Amino acid sequence: MPIGALWRPEIMIKLDHVTKTYKNGTIALDDVSLEIEKGEFVFLVGSSGSGKTTFLRLLLREELPDRGTIWEAGRDIVNLPKWRVPYLRRNIGCVFQDFRLLQNKTVFENVAFALEVIGRPKSVIEAQVPQVLELVGLAHKRDNLPSELSGGEQQRVAIARAFVNRPLILLADEPTGNLDPKISEGIMSLLDRINKSGTTVVMATHDKALVDRMRLRVIELDHGTLVRDQHRGVYGIDGDGGVQR
Amino acid sequence: MASFSQYVVKETTTNLWRNRVTTAAAVFTVMISLFLVGASLVLGQGASNAEIKWQQGTLVTVWMEPGASAQEIAAVQTQLDAFPYVHGCYYRTQAQDYEEAQHLLTATELSVLKPEQIPSSIRCIPNESQDAKLVIAKFSGQPGVFGSPTAPIQYLKTIQRVITTAQYAVLVVALVLLLSSAVLILNTIRMAIFARKREVAVMKLVGATNWFIRVPFIFEGLVQGFIGSALAALFIWIGEAFWRVRTESQSPDGLLHQMLLSNWQLFWCETIVILLGMTIGSIGSAIAIRRFLDV
Ligand SMILES: Nc1ncnc2c1ncn2[C@@H]1O[C@H](COP(=O)(O)OP(=O)(O)O)[C@@H](O)[C@H]1O
Ligand SMILES: [Mg+2]
Repeated sequence: MPIGALWRPEIMIKLDHVTKTYKNGTIALDDVSLEIEKGEFVFLVGSSGSGKTTFLRLLLREELPDRGTIWEAGRDIVNLPKWRVPYLRRNIGCVFQDFRLLQNKTVFENVAFALEVIGRPKSVIEAQVPQVLELVGLAHKRDNLPSELSGGEQQRVAIARAFVNRPLILLADEPTGNLDPKISEGIMSLLDRINKSGTTVVMATHDKALVDRMRLRVIELDHGTLVRDQHRGVYGIDGDGGVQR
Repeated sequence: MASFSQYVVKETTTNLWRNRVTTAAAVFTVMISLFLVGASLVLGQGASNAEIKWQQGTLVTVWMEPGASAQEIAAVQTQLDAFPYVHGCYYRTQAQDYEEAQHLLTATELSVLKPEQIPSSIRCIPNESQDAKLVIAKFSGQPGVFGSPTAPIQYLKTIQRVITTAQYAVLVVALVLLLSSAVLILNTIRMAIFARKREVAVMKLVGATNWFIRVPFIFEGLVQGFIGSALAALFIWIGEAFWRVRTESQSPDGLLHQMLLSNWQLFWCETIVILLGMTIGSIGSAIAIRRFLDV
Protein backbone atom coordinates (compact mmCIF):
# COMPACT_ATOMS: atom_id res chain seq x y z
CA MET A 1 0.00 0.00 0.00
CA PRO A 2 1.48 3.39 -0.87
CA ILE A 3 2.33 5.49 2.14
CA GLY A 4 0.58 8.47 0.59
CA ALA A 5 -2.75 6.71 0.87
CA LEU A 6 -2.36 6.30 4.62
CA TRP A 7 -0.55 9.44 5.44
CA ARG A 8 -2.04 12.61 6.75
CA PRO A 9 0.56 15.34 7.07
CA GLU A 10 -0.20 16.06 10.72
CA ILE A 11 0.65 12.50 11.81
CA MET A 12 4.09 12.38 13.43
CA ILE A 13 4.16 8.79 14.65
CA LYS A 14 2.13 5.86 13.41
CA LEU A 15 2.33 2.23 14.47
CA ASP A 16 0.49 -0.37 12.48
CA HIS A 17 0.05 -3.82 14.09
CA VAL A 18 3.47 -3.73 15.69
CA THR A 19 4.66 -6.81 17.55
CA LYS A 20 8.02 -7.10 19.25
CA THR A 21 9.36 -10.35 20.61
CA TYR A 22 12.76 -10.48 22.29
CA LYS A 23 15.18 -13.28 21.57
CA ASN A 24 14.33 -15.03 24.83
CA GLY A 25 10.69 -15.26 23.70
CA THR A 26 9.27 -12.36 25.77
CA ILE A 27 6.51 -10.65 23.85
CA ALA A 28 7.17 -7.03 24.83
CA LEU A 29 4.63 -5.46 22.46
CA ASP A 30 1.68 -7.29 21.02
CA ASP A 31 -0.12 -5.99 17.95
CA VAL A 32 0.00 -2.30 18.84
CA SER A 33 -1.55 0.21 16.46
CA LEU A 34 -1.77 3.93 17.16
CA GLU A 35 -1.23 7.39 15.72
CA ILE A 36 0.32 10.41 17.37
CA GLU A 37 -0.17 13.79 15.80
CA LYS A 38 2.39 16.49 15.35
CA GLY A 39 2.62 18.65 18.46
CA GLU A 40 0.86 16.18 20.76
CA PHE A 41 1.97 15.38 24.30
CA VAL A 42 1.42 11.72 25.12
CA PHE A 43 1.87 9.89 28.42
CA LEU A 44 2.80 6.26 28.12
CA VAL A 45 1.73 4.45 31.27
CA GLY A 46 1.59 0.87 32.47
CA SER A 47 3.13 -1.24 35.18
CA SER A 48 6.78 -2.15 35.10
CA GLY A 49 7.46 -4.64 32.30
CA SER A 50 4.42 -3.60 30.29
CA GLY A 51 6.54 -2.59 27.30
CA LYS A 52 6.96 1.20 27.61
CA THR A 53 10.73 1.21 27.16
CA THR A 54 10.42 -1.24 24.28
CA PHE A 55 7.94 1.10 22.63
CA LEU A 56 10.41 3.99 22.87
CA ARG A 57 13.31 1.84 21.70
CA LEU A 58 11.33 0.92 18.60
CA LEU A 59 10.74 4.60 17.87
CA LEU A 60 14.50 5.18 18.16
CA ARG A 61 15.16 2.16 16.00
CA GLU A 62 17.29 0.63 18.68
CA GLU A 63 15.09 -2.42 18.11
CA LEU A 64 13.17 -3.67 15.10
CA PRO A 65 9.63 -5.09 15.36
CA ASP A 66 9.11 -8.63 14.14
CA ARG A 67 5.82 -7.61 12.60
CA GLY A 68 4.08 -4.38 11.70
CA THR A 69 5.17 -1.02 10.40
CA ILE A 70 6.30 2.16 12.11
CA TRP A 71 6.25 5.57 10.46
CA GLU A 72 7.91 8.59 11.91
CA ALA A 73 7.79 12.05 10.30
CA GLY A 74 6.52 10.46 7.12
CA ARG A 75 9.18 7.75 6.94
CA ASP A 76 8.86 4.02 7.24
CA ILE A 77 11.57 3.51 9.86
CA VAL A 78 11.39 -0.28 9.89
CA ASN A 79 12.72 -0.52 6.37
CA LEU A 80 15.08 2.41 6.77
CA PRO A 81 18.57 1.40 5.60
CA LYS A 82 21.02 1.08 8.46
CA TRP A 83 23.14 4.01 7.36
CA ARG A 84 20.14 6.34 7.56
CA VAL A 85 19.42 5.54 11.21
CA PRO A 86 21.75 8.27 12.59
CA TYR A 87 19.92 10.83 10.45
CA LEU A 88 16.58 9.60 11.81
CA ARG A 89 17.89 10.02 15.36
CA ARG A 90 18.87 13.61 14.67
CA ASN A 91 15.13 14.29 14.51
CA ILE A 92 14.45 12.56 17.82
CA GLY A 93 15.63 13.78 21.19
CA CYS A 94 15.55 11.47 24.16
CA VAL A 95 15.98 11.62 27.90
CA PHE A 96 16.17 8.85 30.47
CA GLN A 97 15.67 8.24 34.13
CA ASP A 98 19.42 8.04 34.67
CA PHE A 99 20.27 11.25 32.74
CA ARG A 100 23.24 9.66 30.86
CA LEU A 101 25.44 12.72 31.13
CA LEU A 102 29.18 12.50 30.57
CA GLN A 103 30.76 13.03 33.96
CA ASN A 104 34.04 14.46 32.70
CA LYS A 105 32.37 17.17 30.65
CA THR A 106 30.85 20.41 31.88
CA VAL A 107 27.21 21.31 31.38
CA PHE A 108 28.11 23.32 28.29
CA GLU A 109 30.31 20.55 26.89
CA ASN A 110 27.66 17.90 27.48
CA VAL A 111 25.14 19.85 25.43
CA ALA A 112 27.71 20.91 22.83
CA PHE A 113 28.78 17.27 22.41
CA ALA A 114 25.42 16.43 20.85
CA LEU A 115 26.01 19.01 18.13
CA GLU A 116 29.74 18.33 17.78
CA VAL A 117 29.28 14.64 16.97
CA ILE A 118 26.79 15.33 14.22
CA GLY A 119 29.31 17.66 12.63
CA ARG A 120 27.74 21.02 13.46
CA PRO A 121 30.21 23.89 13.09
CA LYS A 122 31.56 25.75 16.08
CA SER A 123 29.59 28.88 15.26
CA VAL A 124 26.32 26.96 15.46
CA ILE A 125 27.38 25.38 18.74
CA GLU A 126 28.38 28.73 20.23
CA ALA A 127 24.98 30.13 19.27
CA GLN A 128 22.63 27.28 20.16
CA VAL A 129 24.04 25.87 23.39
CA PRO A 130 23.71 29.07 25.48
CA GLN A 131 20.22 29.52 24.09
CA VAL A 132 19.04 26.07 25.15
CA LEU A 133 20.78 26.38 28.54
CA GLU A 134 18.82 29.58 29.02
CA LEU A 135 15.63 27.69 28.16
CA VAL A 136 16.24 25.02 30.81
CA GLY A 137 17.34 27.64 33.33
CA LEU A 138 20.96 26.55 33.70
CA ALA A 139 22.84 29.33 31.94
CA HIS A 140 24.58 30.18 35.21
CA LYS A 141 25.87 26.59 35.63
CA ARG A 142 27.35 26.16 32.19
CA ASP A 143 30.85 25.47 33.52
CA ASN A 144 29.84 23.06 36.28
CA LEU A 145 30.37 19.34 36.11
CA PRO A 146 27.33 17.05 36.42
CA SER A 147 28.58 15.88 39.81
CA GLU A 148 28.17 19.46 41.05
CA LEU A 149 24.47 19.51 40.12
CA SER A 150 21.30 18.22 41.78
CA GLY A 151 19.32 15.44 40.13
CA GLY A 152 16.76 17.88 38.80
CA GLU A 153 19.48 20.08 37.32
CA GLN A 154 21.16 17.07 35.71
CA GLN A 155 17.89 16.09 34.07
CA ARG A 156 17.57 19.66 32.76
CA VAL A 157 20.99 19.32 31.18
CA ALA A 158 19.89 16.04 29.61
CA ILE A 159 16.77 17.74 28.25
CA ALA A 160 18.89 20.59 26.91
CA ARG A 161 21.09 18.04 25.14
CA ALA A 162 18.05 16.28 23.68
CA PHE A 163 16.50 19.52 22.53
CA VAL A 164 19.49 21.53 21.34
CA ASN A 165 19.16 20.19 17.80
CA ARG A 166 15.45 21.14 17.74
CA PRO A 167 14.12 17.61 17.16
CA LEU A 168 10.65 16.91 15.80
CA ILE A 169 10.04 14.36 18.52
CA LEU A 170 11.14 14.16 22.14
CA LEU A 171 11.03 10.76 23.84
CA ALA A 172 11.31 10.62 27.62
CA ASP A 173 11.63 7.32 29.48
CA GLU A 174 10.55 7.94 33.09
CA PRO A 175 12.43 11.25 33.25
CA THR A 176 11.15 11.98 36.74
CA GLY A 177 11.67 8.45 38.03
CA ASN A 178 14.64 9.47 40.19
CA LEU A 179 13.35 12.85 41.29
CA ASP A 180 11.12 13.95 44.13
CA PRO A 181 7.65 15.38 43.34
CA LYS A 182 8.59 19.03 43.66
CA ILE A 183 11.49 18.68 41.24
CA SER A 184 9.38 16.51 38.93
CA GLU A 185 6.92 19.36 38.57
CA GLY A 186 9.68 21.56 37.21
CA ILE A 187 10.83 18.93 34.74
CA MET A 188 7.26 18.39 33.65
CA SER A 189 6.64 22.07 33.00
CA LEU A 190 9.90 22.22 31.04
CA LEU A 191 8.76 19.34 28.83
CA ASP A 192 5.40 21.06 28.51
CA ARG A 193 7.10 24.22 27.30
CA ILE A 194 9.13 22.24 24.78
CA ASN A 195 5.90 20.65 23.59
CA LYS A 196 4.26 24.06 23.25
CA SER A 197 7.07 25.06 20.90
CA GLY A 198 5.79 22.41 18.50
CA THR A 199 7.79 19.34 19.45
CA THR A 200 5.85 16.09 19.75
CA VAL A 201 6.55 14.57 23.18
CA VAL A 202 6.10 10.94 24.25
CA MET A 203 6.78 10.40 27.94
CA ALA A 204 6.76 7.03 29.65
CA THR A 205 6.02 7.50 33.32
CA HIS A 206 4.96 5.99 36.61
CA ASP A 207 4.12 9.37 38.09
CA LYS A 208 0.42 9.18 38.81
CA ALA A 209 0.06 12.68 40.29
CA LEU A 210 1.69 14.22 37.29
CA VAL A 211 -0.44 12.41 34.73
CA ASP A 212 -3.61 13.13 36.62
CA ARG A 213 -2.83 16.82 36.90
CA MET A 214 -1.85 17.38 33.28
CA ARG A 215 -4.89 15.80 31.70
CA LEU A 216 -3.19 15.02 28.44
CA ARG A 217 -3.46 12.02 26.17
CA VAL A 218 -2.71 8.76 27.99
CA ILE A 219 -1.76 5.50 26.34
CA GLU A 220 -1.69 2.49 28.62
CA LEU A 221 0.14 -0.74 27.96
CA ASP A 222 -0.45 -3.98 29.79
CA HIS A 223 1.80 -6.94 29.07
CA GLY A 224 2.59 -5.42 25.71
CA THR A 225 -1.01 -4.83 24.70
CA LEU A 226 -2.51 -1.38 24.21
CA VAL A 227 -5.37 -1.36 26.69
CA ARG A 228 -6.28 2.31 26.79
CA ASP A 229 -5.85 5.34 24.58
CA GLN A 230 -7.56 8.33 26.08
CA HIS A 231 -7.60 12.06 25.52
CA ARG A 232 -7.41 14.20 28.66
CA GLY A 233 -6.81 10.97 30.54
CA VAL A 234 -5.57 10.09 34.02
CA TYR A 235 -3.06 7.52 35.24
CA GLY A 236 -5.33 4.73 36.48
CA ILE A 237 -8.50 3.22 35.10
CA ASP A 238 -10.60 6.27 34.36
CA GLY A 239 -13.95 6.74 35.98
CA ASP A 240 -14.66 10.21 34.76
CA GLY A 241 -13.88 12.75 32.10
CA GLY A 242 -11.56 10.69 29.92
CA VAL A 243 -12.42 10.56 26.28
CA GLN A 244 -12.06 7.10 24.81
CA ARG A 245 -10.68 7.18 21.31
CA MET B 1 35.48 19.18 8.02
CA ALA B 2 38.02 21.29 9.88
CA SER B 3 36.10 20.71 13.07
CA PHE B 4 35.94 16.97 12.38
CA SER B 5 39.70 16.67 11.99
CA GLN B 6 40.15 18.75 15.13
CA TYR B 7 37.75 16.44 16.88
CA VAL B 8 39.59 13.31 15.71
CA VAL B 9 42.97 14.69 16.77
CA LYS B 10 41.61 15.72 20.17
CA GLU B 11 39.93 12.35 20.78
CA THR B 12 42.97 10.40 19.62
CA THR B 13 45.46 12.26 21.78
CA THR B 14 43.15 11.94 24.79
CA ASN B 15 42.80 8.20 24.23
CA LEU B 16 46.50 7.62 23.62
CA TRP B 17 47.39 9.55 26.73
CA ARG B 18 44.76 7.82 28.86
CA ASN B 19 46.19 4.42 27.90
CA ARG B 20 49.78 5.55 27.66
CA VAL B 21 51.37 2.45 29.20
CA THR B 22 49.65 -0.03 26.92
CA THR B 23 50.14 2.37 24.03
CA ALA B 24 53.86 2.49 24.72
CA ALA B 25 54.00 -1.32 24.86
CA ALA B 26 52.19 -1.60 21.54
CA VAL B 27 54.37 1.03 19.87
CA PHE B 28 57.52 -0.62 21.20
CA THR B 29 56.53 -4.04 19.87
CA VAL B 30 55.63 -2.59 16.50
CA MET B 31 59.03 -0.92 16.45
CA ILE B 32 60.99 -4.07 17.28
CA SER B 33 59.11 -6.27 14.86
CA LEU B 34 59.29 -3.79 12.00
CA PHE B 35 62.96 -3.14 12.67
CA LEU B 36 63.50 -6.86 12.15
CA VAL B 37 61.34 -6.88 9.04
CA GLY B 38 63.31 -3.91 7.72
CA ALA B 39 66.64 -5.53 8.56
CA SER B 40 65.56 -8.63 6.72
CA LEU B 41 64.55 -6.55 3.69
CA VAL B 42 67.86 -4.69 3.72
CA LEU B 43 69.82 -7.94 3.99
CA GLY B 44 67.91 -9.51 1.12
CA GLN B 45 68.40 -6.46 -1.04
CA GLY B 46 72.08 -6.37 -0.13
CA ALA B 47 72.57 -10.03 -1.02
CA SER B 48 71.04 -9.50 -4.43
CA ASN B 49 73.15 -6.36 -4.97
CA ALA B 50 76.29 -8.36 -4.21
CA GLU B 51 75.19 -11.19 -6.49
CA ILE B 52 74.78 -8.82 -9.42
CA LYS B 53 78.17 -7.23 -8.85
CA TRP B 54 79.97 -10.54 -8.46
CA GLN B 55 78.33 -12.08 -11.47
CA GLN B 56 79.44 -9.19 -13.62
CA GLY B 57 83.05 -9.85 -12.65
CA THR B 58 83.15 -13.64 -12.37
CA LEU B 59 86.53 -15.02 -13.21
CA VAL B 60 87.59 -18.62 -12.88
CA THR B 61 91.14 -18.97 -11.77
CA VAL B 62 93.00 -22.20 -12.61
CA TRP B 63 95.96 -22.20 -10.22
CA MET B 64 99.14 -23.92 -11.49
CA GLU B 65 101.64 -25.70 -9.21
CA PRO B 66 104.53 -23.35 -8.42
CA GLY B 67 106.78 -26.01 -9.95
CA ALA B 68 104.62 -26.78 -13.00
CA SER B 69 106.53 -27.23 -16.23
CA ALA B 70 106.00 -25.02 -19.24
CA GLN B 71 104.51 -28.00 -21.15
CA GLU B 72 102.00 -28.64 -18.39
CA ILE B 73 100.99 -24.99 -18.40
CA ALA B 74 100.71 -24.95 -22.19
CA ALA B 75 98.62 -28.16 -22.16
CA VAL B 76 96.13 -26.75 -19.70
CA GLN B 77 95.98 -23.51 -21.65
CA THR B 78 95.27 -25.34 -24.94
CA GLN B 79 92.52 -27.37 -23.31
CA LEU B 80 90.96 -24.23 -21.85
CA ASP B 81 91.02 -22.48 -25.21
CA ALA B 82 89.17 -25.45 -26.72
CA PHE B 83 86.68 -25.62 -23.83
CA PRO B 84 83.29 -24.46 -25.23
CA TYR B 85 82.06 -22.83 -22.00
CA VAL B 86 84.89 -20.35 -21.86
CA HIS B 87 85.41 -17.44 -24.16
CA GLY B 88 88.80 -16.13 -23.17
CA CYS B 89 91.81 -16.87 -21.00
CA TYR B 90 95.04 -15.23 -20.06
CA TYR B 91 98.14 -16.41 -18.22
CA ARG B 92 99.54 -14.66 -15.17
CA THR B 93 103.05 -15.39 -14.05
CA GLN B 94 104.14 -16.13 -10.49
CA ALA B 95 105.53 -12.59 -10.26
CA GLN B 96 102.22 -11.06 -11.34
CA ASP B 97 100.29 -13.19 -8.84
CA TYR B 98 102.76 -12.24 -6.10
CA GLU B 99 102.14 -8.60 -6.85
CA GLU B 100 98.39 -9.15 -6.60
CA ALA B 101 98.85 -11.00 -3.33
CA GLN B 102 100.66 -7.97 -1.96
CA HIS B 103 97.39 -6.04 -2.31
CA LEU B 104 95.20 -8.72 -0.84
CA LEU B 105 97.25 -10.16 2.02
CA THR B 106 98.56 -8.63 5.23
CA ALA B 107 102.25 -8.03 5.87
CA THR B 108 102.53 -11.01 8.25
CA GLU B 109 100.91 -13.32 5.75
CA LEU B 110 103.26 -12.04 3.02
CA SER B 111 106.35 -12.42 5.19
CA VAL B 112 106.04 -16.23 5.14
CA LEU B 113 105.49 -16.34 1.36
CA LYS B 114 108.22 -16.16 -1.21
CA PRO B 115 107.45 -15.20 -4.83
CA GLU B 116 108.55 -18.64 -6.01
CA GLN B 117 106.01 -20.34 -3.70
CA ILE B 118 103.09 -18.47 -5.28
CA PRO B 119 101.20 -20.42 -7.95
CA SER B 120 100.98 -18.94 -11.39
CA SER B 121 97.46 -18.88 -12.81
CA ILE B 122 95.28 -18.95 -15.88
CA ARG B 123 92.28 -16.63 -15.58
CA CYS B 124 89.23 -17.44 -17.69
CA ILE B 125 85.99 -15.66 -18.36
CA PRO B 126 83.14 -18.17 -18.55
CA ASN B 127 80.28 -17.60 -21.00
CA GLU B 128 77.81 -17.67 -18.12
CA SER B 129 78.68 -17.25 -14.49
CA GLN B 130 77.32 -20.70 -13.64
CA ASP B 131 79.68 -22.27 -16.26
CA ALA B 132 82.46 -21.62 -13.75
CA LYS B 133 81.40 -24.90 -12.11
CA LEU B 134 82.22 -26.85 -15.31
CA VAL B 135 85.71 -25.39 -15.42
CA ILE B 136 86.24 -26.28 -11.81
CA ALA B 137 85.04 -29.85 -12.36
CA LYS B 138 87.13 -30.47 -15.48
CA PHE B 139 90.45 -29.05 -14.36
CA SER B 140 90.62 -30.17 -10.73
CA GLY B 141 93.50 -32.62 -10.33
CA GLN B 142 94.89 -32.26 -13.85
CA PRO B 143 98.69 -32.54 -14.10
CA GLY B 144 100.31 -29.30 -13.02
CA VAL B 145 97.05 -27.86 -11.63
CA PHE B 146 97.30 -26.74 -8.01
CA GLY B 147 94.22 -27.82 -6.02
CA SER B 148 90.90 -26.86 -7.55
CA PRO B 149 90.25 -23.87 -9.73
CA THR B 150 88.37 -21.18 -7.80
CA ALA B 151 85.58 -18.83 -8.64
CA PRO B 152 84.21 -16.14 -6.30
CA ILE B 153 80.72 -17.32 -7.19
CA GLN B 154 81.12 -20.31 -4.88
CA TYR B 155 82.14 -18.16 -1.99
CA LEU B 156 79.24 -15.88 -2.77
CA LYS B 157 76.77 -18.77 -2.88
CA THR B 158 77.84 -19.83 0.59
CA ILE B 159 77.53 -16.30 1.88
CA GLN B 160 74.16 -15.99 0.22
CA ARG B 161 72.94 -19.19 1.79
CA VAL B 162 73.94 -17.84 5.17
CA ILE B 163 72.26 -14.53 4.47
CA THR B 164 69.06 -16.16 3.21
CA THR B 165 68.88 -18.39 6.26
CA ALA B 166 69.43 -15.41 8.53
CA GLN B 167 66.85 -13.47 6.59
CA TYR B 168 64.20 -16.16 7.03
CA ALA B 169 64.98 -16.60 10.70
CA VAL B 170 64.66 -12.86 11.25
CA LEU B 171 61.46 -12.80 9.21
CA VAL B 172 59.86 -15.56 11.27
CA VAL B 173 60.68 -13.77 14.52
CA ALA B 174 59.46 -10.53 12.98
CA LEU B 175 56.15 -12.07 11.92
CA VAL B 176 55.51 -13.48 15.38
CA LEU B 177 56.28 -10.07 16.86
CA LEU B 178 54.16 -8.40 14.22
CA LEU B 179 51.24 -10.58 15.20
CA SER B 180 51.69 -9.77 18.85
CA SER B 181 51.93 -6.07 18.09
CA ALA B 182 48.61 -6.30 16.24
CA VAL B 183 47.14 -7.96 19.33
CA LEU B 184 48.61 -5.25 21.56
CA ILE B 185 47.15 -2.52 19.37
CA LEU B 186 43.82 -4.34 19.37
CA ASN B 187 43.99 -4.37 23.15
CA THR B 188 44.66 -0.65 23.50
CA ILE B 189 41.79 0.11 21.15
CA ARG B 190 39.56 -2.22 23.14
CA MET B 191 40.49 -0.35 26.31
CA ALA B 192 39.80 2.96 24.60
CA ILE B 193 36.40 1.69 23.50
CA PHE B 194 35.52 0.54 27.01
CA ALA B 195 36.73 3.80 28.50
CA ARG B 196 34.42 5.63 26.13
CA LYS B 197 31.40 3.37 26.37
CA ARG B 198 29.17 6.13 27.70
CA GLU B 199 30.35 8.65 25.12
CA VAL B 200 29.70 6.15 22.35
CA ALA B 201 26.20 5.45 23.70
CA VAL B 202 25.42 9.17 23.72
CA MET B 203 26.87 9.62 20.25
CA LYS B 204 24.63 6.89 18.88
CA LEU B 205 21.65 8.40 20.62
CA VAL B 206 22.09 11.88 19.19
CA GLY B 207 22.69 10.56 15.68
CA ALA B 208 26.44 10.50 15.13
CA THR B 209 27.19 8.39 12.06
CA ASN B 210 28.98 5.09 12.47
CA TRP B 211 32.04 6.43 10.72
CA PHE B 212 32.15 9.45 12.95
CA ILE B 213 32.22 7.10 15.93
CA ARG B 214 34.75 4.73 14.41
CA VAL B 215 37.26 7.10 12.88
CA PRO B 216 38.96 8.22 16.12
CA PHE B 217 39.56 4.58 17.08
CA ILE B 218 40.87 3.62 13.64
CA PHE B 219 43.06 6.69 13.69
CA GLU B 220 44.37 5.72 17.11
CA GLY B 221 45.51 2.33 15.80
CA LEU B 222 46.97 3.95 12.74
CA VAL B 223 48.94 6.42 14.83
CA GLN B 224 50.35 3.65 17.02
CA GLY B 225 51.38 1.65 13.96
CA PHE B 226 52.86 4.74 12.37
CA ILE B 227 54.89 5.83 15.40
CA GLY B 228 56.24 2.30 15.89
CA SER B 229 57.17 1.91 12.24
CA ALA B 230 58.64 5.40 11.96
CA LEU B 231 60.93 4.59 14.88
CA ALA B 232 61.85 1.30 13.24
CA ALA B 233 62.57 3.13 9.98
CA LEU B 234 64.74 5.59 11.86
CA PHE B 235 66.81 2.82 13.45
CA ILE B 236 67.18 1.05 10.11
CA TRP B 237 68.39 4.29 8.59
CA ILE B 238 70.89 4.79 11.42
CA GLY B 239 72.05 1.18 11.10
CA GLU B 240 72.54 1.52 7.37
CA ALA B 241 74.47 4.78 7.78
CA PHE B 242 76.69 3.11 10.37
CA TRP B 243 77.31 0.17 8.00
CA ARG B 244 78.15 2.61 5.19
CA VAL B 245 80.69 4.47 7.32
CA ARG B 246 82.27 1.24 8.51
CA THR B 247 82.69 -0.21 4.99
CA GLU B 248 83.91 2.98 3.37
CA SER B 249 87.48 2.27 4.47
CA GLN B 250 87.30 -1.28 3.08
CA SER B 251 88.10 -2.47 -0.42
CA PRO B 252 85.20 -1.94 -2.86
CA ASP B 253 85.48 -5.68 -3.68
CA GLY B 254 84.48 -6.56 -0.10
CA LEU B 255 81.15 -8.27 0.36
CA LEU B 256 79.79 -5.76 2.85
CA HIS B 257 80.69 -2.98 0.48
CA GLN B 258 79.05 -4.62 -2.47
CA MET B 259 75.89 -5.26 -0.46
CA LEU B 260 75.41 -1.55 0.27
CA LEU B 261 71.98 -0.26 -0.73
CA SER B 262 71.37 2.62 -3.08
CA ASN B 263 69.32 5.51 -1.69
CA TRP B 264 66.31 4.35 -3.64
CA GLN B 265 66.57 0.82 -2.32
CA LEU B 266 66.80 2.09 1.23
CA PHE B 267 63.87 4.40 0.61
CA TRP B 268 61.75 1.46 -0.56
CA CYS B 269 62.67 -0.69 2.43
CA GLU B 270 61.71 2.19 4.74
CA THR B 271 58.46 2.79 2.87
CA ILE B 272 57.49 -0.86 3.12
CA VAL B 273 58.23 -0.81 6.85
CA ILE B 274 56.06 2.26 7.42
CA LEU B 275 53.19 0.98 5.27
CA LEU B 276 53.34 -2.32 7.10
CA GLY B 277 53.19 -0.51 10.44
CA MET B 278 50.13 1.45 9.42
CA THR B 279 48.50 -1.70 8.05
CA ILE B 280 49.10 -3.53 11.32
CA GLY B 281 47.67 -0.57 13.22
CA SER B 282 44.54 -0.42 11.12
CA ILE B 283 44.03 -4.18 11.22
CA GLY B 284 44.34 -4.15 15.02
CA SER B 285 41.84 -1.35 15.41
CA ALA B 286 39.48 -2.72 12.75
CA ILE B 287 39.24 -6.03 14.63
CA ALA B 288 38.74 -4.23 17.95
CA ILE B 289 36.00 -2.09 16.45
CA ARG B 290 34.24 -5.06 14.90
CA ARG B 291 34.34 -7.02 18.12
CA PHE B 292 33.88 -4.40 20.80
CA LEU B 293 32.26 -1.33 19.26
CA ASP B 294 28.60 -2.00 18.70
CA VAL B 295 27.81 0.38 15.86
N1 LIG C 1 16.68 -6.81 25.93
C1 LIG C 1 15.67 -7.57 26.37
N2 LIG C 1 15.75 -8.92 26.23
C2 LIG C 1 14.73 -9.68 26.66
N3 LIG C 1 13.64 -9.23 27.27
C3 LIG C 1 13.52 -7.92 27.45
C4 LIG C 1 14.53 -7.01 27.02
N4 LIG C 1 14.14 -5.76 27.33
C5 LIG C 1 12.93 -5.89 27.91
N5 LIG C 1 12.55 -7.17 28.01
C6 LIG C 1 11.30 -7.67 28.54
O1 LIG C 1 10.26 -7.12 27.77
C7 LIG C 1 9.19 -6.73 28.60
C8 LIG C 1 8.90 -5.25 28.46
O2 LIG C 1 9.99 -4.54 29.02
P1 LIG C 1 10.09 -2.97 28.99
O3 LIG C 1 9.80 -2.51 27.60
O4 LIG C 1 11.41 -2.59 29.54
O5 LIG C 1 8.93 -2.52 29.95
P2 LIG C 1 8.77 -1.20 30.83
O6 LIG C 1 9.66 -0.17 30.30
O7 LIG C 1 7.32 -0.87 30.69
O8 LIG C 1 9.09 -1.57 32.23
C9 LIG C 1 9.56 -7.14 30.02
O9 LIG C 1 9.00 -8.41 30.28
C10 LIG C 1 11.06 -7.24 29.97
O10 LIG C 1 11.52 -8.20 30.87
MG1 LIG D 1 11.14 0.96 31.28
